[in-house]
Formats: sequence, C-alpha cells, structure tokens
Amino acid sequence: MRITKGVTRGEPVSFTFNGVRYSGYAGESVAAALFASGMAHLRDSPRNHQPRGMFCLMGSCQECLVWVNGRKVPACQQPLVESLQVSSISTEAP
Amino acid sequence: MTSTLDVVNPADRPFDAAVIGAGVMGCSTAFHLAQGGMKVALIDRGQLCREASGVNAGTLTLHMTRAALVPYAMKAWEMWMTAEQWLGAGVLATHVPGLTLAFTEAECEMLEQRAAARREYGANINILTPQQALEVEPGLNPRLLKAAHCDIDGFATAYLTGRAFRQGLDAQQVALYENLPVEAVDRRNGVFRISCRGGRVLHARRIVLAGGVWIEPMLAWLGVRIPIKTLINQLSITERMRPVMRTVMSVANGLLSLKQFANGTILIGGGWQGIGDRERGGVEAVPENLIGNMRLARYVVPAMSEGRIARIWLGLEAETADAMPIIGDVPGVEDAYVVGSAHSGYTSGPFMGKIIAQYILGRQPEMPLFDPARLLSRHPGNEEA
Amino acid sequence: MDNVDKDVDLVVLGAGPAGVNAAITANRHGLKVVLVDQNHAAGGQVFRPMPETFTPSGGSAAPGEGDELRQRLARSQVRVYFNHTVWNVSTDLRVDAVGPDGPVHWRCRALVVASGTTERVVPFPGWTLPNVMGLAAATILLKSQKMLPGADTLVAGCGPLLTAVAAGIVDGGGRVAALVDAAPRSAWLKASPAMVSRPDLMWQGVKWLAQIKTAGIPIFSAHAIEKVEAVDGRLRATLAPVDSDRRIGGGERHAVHADAVVVGNGLVPGTDVTRLLRAEHTFNRKLGGWVAVTDEYCRTSVPGLYAAGDGCGISGAAAAIHHGELAGLAVAHDVGSLDEHSFEREAAAVQRRLSKARRFGQAMGALMALPSRQVETIAPDTVVCRCEDVTRAEIDAAVAGGARDMNQLKAWTRCGMGPCQGRSCGDVAAELAALKAGCGRSEVGFFTGRAPLRPVSLEQLTGDYDYADIPLPKAAPL
Repeated sequence: MRITKGVTRGEPVSFTFNGVRYSGYAGESVAAALFASGMAHLRDSPRNHQPRGMFCLMGSCQECLVWVNGRKVPACQQPLVESLQVSSISTEAP
Repeated sequence: MTSTLDVVNPADRPFDAAVIGAGVMGCSTAFHLAQGGMKVALIDRGQLCREASGVNAGTLTLHMTRAALVPYAMKAWEMWMTAEQWLGAGVLATHVPGLTLAFTEAECEMLEQRAAARREYGANINILTPQQALEVEPGLNPRLLKAAHCDIDGFATAYLTGRAFRQGLDAQQVALYENLPVEAVDRRNGVFRISCRGGRVLHARRIVLAGGVWIEPMLAWLGVRIPIKTLINQLSITERMRPVMRTVMSVANGLLSLKQFANGTILIGGGWQGIGDRERGGVEAVPENLIGNMRLARYVVPAMSEGRIARIWLGLEAETADAMPIIGDVPGVEDAYVVGSAHSGYTSGPFMGKIIAQYILGRQPEMPLFDPARLLSRHPGNEEA
Repeated sequence: MDNVDKDVDLVVLGAGPAGVNAAITANRHGLKVVLVDQNHAAGGQVFRPMPETFTPSGGSAAPGEGDELRQRLARSQVRVYFNHTVWNVSTDLRVDAVGPDGPVHWRCRALVVASGTTERVVPFPGWTLPNVMGLAAATILLKSQKMLPGADTLVAGCGPLLTAVAAGIVDGGGRVAALVDAAPRSAWLKASPAMVSRPDLMWQGVKWLAQIKTAGIPIFSAHAIEKVEAVDGRLRATLAPVDSDRRIGGGERHAVHADAVVVGNGLVPGTDVTRLLRAEHTFNRKLGGWVAVTDEYCRTSVPGLYAAGDGCGISGAAAAIHHGELAGLAVAHDVGSLDEHSFEREAAAVQRRLSKARRFGQAMGALMALPSRQVETIAPDTVVCRCEDVTRAEIDAAVAGGARDMNQLKAWTRCGMGPCQGRSCGDVAAELAALKAGCGRSEVGFFTGRAPLRPVSLEQLTGDYDYADIPLPKAAPL
C-alpha cells in the first residue's frame, strides 16, 4: 500500500527476511518495506509468545526489533539498502 | 497530618523488638523474632528491600564471599533455595554451578589462593582445566587459563525480595512501617523511644539496627561510632536474549559477576564503582567503568556481543574496616543490637538475620556472631573505647 | 574515532522544531553548538522528512515548514550528528552517544533537551496484534514512508490527530473503515475559542473534516475500541460507547472489519533525560502527564539543563519553535554570550509569540489528556506492559499486595523492565496503580530515570579490545 501520488521513490532494492527474498525501495525503513509486503508479524513476545509487529514507528517501543548484519536494531530505524539481510529475533535457544 | 501527640503505640505497651531497616537482614531478623514469639515492628524510611537488598546482583556464590563467611553463605544458600517453605514465597533462587575464572598468570595465582582459603572454611571448590571449564560452560572464551568450580552456587532475583518478605512478614504479623524515617532513638525506663518523621513515636523493649550502609548514622543515634564505608556498585542488565550461559561466573580478580536468568536477561556486576554516597544514594554511573565492566563480560562470554543493555543502576554496599559484618550487641547499650554491613551481604543475609534473632531470643546462635566492639573507633564519644 | 567537537558550549538533544530553533538561536549568538538526533535529518515528529532517497514530485514543490527548518539549519554553523543515539548524560554534562562509527561523547556547558513526546495508547485486548499501530505512528507511515496502514483502516482514539490521519489516508488513496473518537462531537466546540488564535491551523482542521465527510467515512463519536481480534487474515474491531470519562459502558456494540487499526490516546512528554538527571518534575494532566519543572526561560531545576518543546508539556509545533528560540536565548545569556538587556528584549518578543501559539497548542493538547477514570474499564487480562506481557490484573494484584509506587510496582511485576524502558506502558500503568491504591498520580510517581536512555548494543559500546585494554580497578578483598 505504497502511496504513489506526490513522491518519487529511490531505487528498487531486494533484501531478505529470515532467508526469504522481498523487494522494497532504497531508504525505506525495513519495517515499512516488510509491512508493505504483507509481512507484519516480525517476532513473538518473549513471555507469552504472542505475534508482534511494528507499533510506534519512532524507535521507542522496540517491538520491531530485528537482526541486521549481526546487530539488533529497530526495523523502523533501519533504512533499506540492496541485499540487506534481516532476521527475526528470538529469545529461545536455536 | 500527624501531631506530636500521635503515638503509634504507647510506652506501656511497647513492641518486644523494633527492627530499623527493612533490607534482607532486617526483614529476616524481624521474621525470626516474630516466629520466636515476639511482637515485632519493622521500620524503614522507604519501602522494604528497595536498597541493596532489592538491587544487587543476586549472586549466591561462595567464590566471592569472604572466606570466613563461607559457612554462613552455605547456610543462607539453603534458606534462599527453600524460601517458599520457610518464608512462604521465593525469589526464584536457582541452583547452578559457579565458576571463577583466570585469564592471566596473576589471576591464576589469585584463583588458587581464593579457592584454598574457601576450602578451609568448608567450600567444595575444585580447580578445572580450560577444557573442563568449557564442558561445564561451553560459551566461555577459550583463552581461559584456569577455572575454579563449585557445585553449591546459583542466583536469586533480588528485586523479588521485598515482595517475598512482605508475604512472610504479614504471615508472622510483624507490624511493618514503610516510608517512615527514624530521626532519633533514646532509652527511658528500659524502653526505647523511636521518634519518626511527622511526630510518630514507636516504643520497643529492644531495637535492632539493620540499616546496611546506614548503620553508621544509626549507631550515632546511640552515641556509638563505627565507621562504615559505602561502596557505590554499578550493575547493568541486558534485554532478554537467547540462552548463552548456564553457570554463575566471576573472575578471580573479583571484578565480574555474570549470570543469565530464566527470562533470558543477563546481569553484569562486579563492583565497578559509580558516583554517589550515603547521603544522596547512587547518583550516576561512570561511563568508563561501565565500559570496562562490559568489556570484561564480553571477553568472558563472547556471545554477549549480541546483547543490548536495557538498564544500568547503582546499589550501595557496606564495608567495615576488616570487611567482615557486625552482628551482635551494640557496645555499651543494653537491649540494642546490630546486624549487617557485610560485603556480599545479600548472599548470607537471611541466615545472619536468623542468628541475631536466635541471640536476641536468648537461644544459642547456630554460628558465632561478629562482635561490633572490635570496630569501635577511638572516639571520645564512645561508651567503650 | 576522536571527534573534534569534544568541548562545546551547548548540546541540543532532538532536532525537531524546538531543538533546531534552540540550536540555531544559540549559535547565532556565538555559541559552539552540537545538535544530536537519532533520525537521518531534522524535523522531529511533526516535520518528519522522507528518506533521503525519496523526492517530492508533481505540482506543489513549494518547500513546506519542515524543508525550511532543514534549510535554516544547514545554513547555520550548528554541527549536526544525525543517526546518533544518546544513551547517557552525566551530571557534569558529559553526553554519551553511539552512531554509525561507534561511541562518541561531548562535554558541554549547557544542555537543551528537546526530545518531544511518545504516544499514549490505552490498552484493549488485541492492541498488541500486528497491523495495529499508533496514531502518531500512522502519521510517520503516511508522511515519511509514504505508505498507507492498510487498504481499509480503522482510525481510533482521541484528539486532533484523528482527523489528520483519516484525511491523510484518504488523500493517499486509501479507505478509512471508520473514525472512532472518544470525545463527543461537542468537544471541538469547547476548543474553538483557543483555535481562533491560530486561524490557519483551525482551517486545516476544518478542511480535514470536510475531506472525511466527503469520503463518507462513518464517524463514531463518544466511542472507543473494546477489543480487536484477528479473523480470517483481517482484523475485527468491536466498538463500544464511552462516557464523559471515556470509560467503556453498556450499550450497542458495532463490529468493524479492517486491514489495519490505527489508535492513539494522546501524547506523553518525554522525560527520559530530565528524570535521569533528577530534575524536579510535576504532574500536569492537561500538559500530558509528568513534565520537568521549568522557569519562564526553559531552565530546569538542574543547573545547565534546559528543556523546550512538547517534552515540557503538549503545546504544539508552533509553540515548540518559539520555546526552542527562548531556550537558545537563555543558554546564550547564561553562558555570558548575550548581555542582560539584549536578552530581556529578545526574550520578551519570543515570549509574546510563544504565548499566542500556546493558546492553540495547549487547547489541542487538552483534548488528548487522559481522563483519570478512562483506565477503569481496561479488561483484567489485557496486556498493559507490552515488553513483558504484564496484565492489568497483575498490576492490580501487586498494588493490592502493597506496592505503592511505580518503582515498587516494577519490582513486583516486571512492568517497565523491558526494552521500551517503560515508555509504552508507564503512563497507563501509573494511572492503574493510582486507581487501585486510591491515590493521586503524584503519590505513585514515575519510574526512576536511568541510563541507557535507549537500549545500546554491548558490541557498539565496547568496541575492539584485548584483555589488557580493560582498565581493571583494585581486586576485591579475599
């Protein structure tokens, strides 16, 4: 559900989330790009294992935390670049 | 609003004992006194177990306890592990092995010394090679040189202490007075008059000072001077993460404590100092000391790189001149007792409260006390120089 | 990395309208200023920029207020540190941050906190589901990421953001399943006298309302979401009537199906830094909750610490601009770069503009204030602390068991111990605690402020090092 009126986006890029390929636009937040691709469920809450996704979009709530290049970042604060590898965070043993 | 005539309990119906300071020592003392049949008041200027007892690392180890306190720590370990039974509620005390580690030759020497000293007091500590240590704790940095291992080890969740004791104290009908700072104590006709903020006054036949770092000003109420040093310990905790460790770890130099709770959070301690004092409490952390502490943690368990620090805080720890606790009679003051000011006091806390209570109840304490008179400062104000 | 800006006169935290204007104003009076923000450019919440890779297209390419703000900043000598997250501020005004190149820190003579607000959402069963997001969050999605929350979106909550978001969705080509406002229709009328002080902004609101009416969006006044459930890949929201305290009551329920639910119940001033530095705070419901006490020149009770913008109390973007200017002037004066007479003259002019802007902004803010009784009807098994899945029932039980303030509540339930550090739950949890304890918000207090201000990665903080690099203090006693 990207808005097209009034904006020209950057280059289309592809990235992966949990090994699955998705496409988005350079500079979009990872959270928004996944959301636009229908991937709203980013992780499970550690205590009750309930599905969670992006919520505040301002880097405060930490709900959209993901792994990017070996570091935990809120997906809403991470801009997309080509071939970015993103994965879910789990507190369970692998 | 209370007036100066608002008396909590009149002088002719005093409590059998009033414990001032509701940390683990004070709570345990009050609990055991009440269990022994006394009518007990427990007073704190804040909420119970919110100072050192509620914010420490919760390490239940023999490795970092003073060697001479090992027997006390072992008894207390049993109490923590069985708290649901005797107290009625627990602190998620978890039994896991404890490892203390050496990464340099100097640390190896320290490690052997510490292990030997503790063995003398009854701790079952054996030395491991790096390979053996890695079998116990696979996530360790393989550059380890030596490890000391103890089966009797583990941790508690310190912030649960208040809630746990609250239940036990209520069951023993201890009268708990939170948010009631004591301003002065004097003794008249065999009864202590405890004057609190707002004009409230409590009366008790006996008092027990259990104020941790604040025992020094408390003793001053009674004209007794024992200097107590206040350490400002920094602690930090990660957000929940995947399991990366299964033991309680320390380093031979005593500068790291590391453990992962069942909820996945990892607590980093080790006595790195922050800024603060007894009057203001813990004010703030020192960034260099935080980074030093975290570097040590990450070195010991490299998987800690994955972690994010969620919170950093400070706790005040008491240390007497000989680093041993004060448990016993307040020198020169009848019916006044003191318990506390122990380095790593949380580990042994419940047992120390139990033995002072035994003493006060006129019974033989399970283990010897630690006479406060030994630490009296040569000060003209003291009753006994 | 050794940064050149180690010793500066002023560090400003937050590059929204208040922060940018504080920085530019101080800089204009000769101060060496560093401006830090976690985003990639200035603008804050209200003037949030698009990603650098996006460009506006089509007809009106006239620069908006946000572009003007960014341009003025670029023309100044303020040194900006974007993509940096401040994790600690010491009482001696050392500021520690992490950025793309690792840790940095600055020492300064004065600090202006202008870090804005976070959103308040009053919980309901289902509020944690994916595709449920905040109202302010939706404005970020729309304005900055140029994205709709869903094909069909339910917009709910209270305050002026409701119409802004609904209109934004319509404008972007999306559908609004319904607009659910906790306030009765008459609320706008009560606010009108203040709105007249900013006719331009009032007109904006009227236009949005017209857009919504034209689109035929069903409007439910004096209603709130009772619950949201995931059904057949979509969301089903149950709407219920609320009373004047915004409590859910009896009466007819309405089911609304949507792809996304966007909900917000106002803004809460951010007090992370002022609480960390132990500044004095006061609770003011109309201003959004706890705020640092400031004098008329933005000074907090901590020497060298100033606060400006919505973080001092919800007053709107227009007021934030002038509040920031005032803070900049105060700092310039207090460090000796602006003489008394000039300061009083310039500050008086700014204060006049500030007062006028505040009238409108605070009236809007009051519409977003949380009525103390609204939390009464939160169902017991509703998660309140999202990070730790702590329910209302657990909070009530802790208070019933003797927990008397927010810090004790935290220790007894873990509410507030998660990575959001109490920002998402703190205000509502405090309201629930006060309700259960039968006391006021002042008595239950707030979570003690501690570092890090945001979770910070161990790897970033510790960097590359050897064992010998660790500065070990004296060993513990035997």
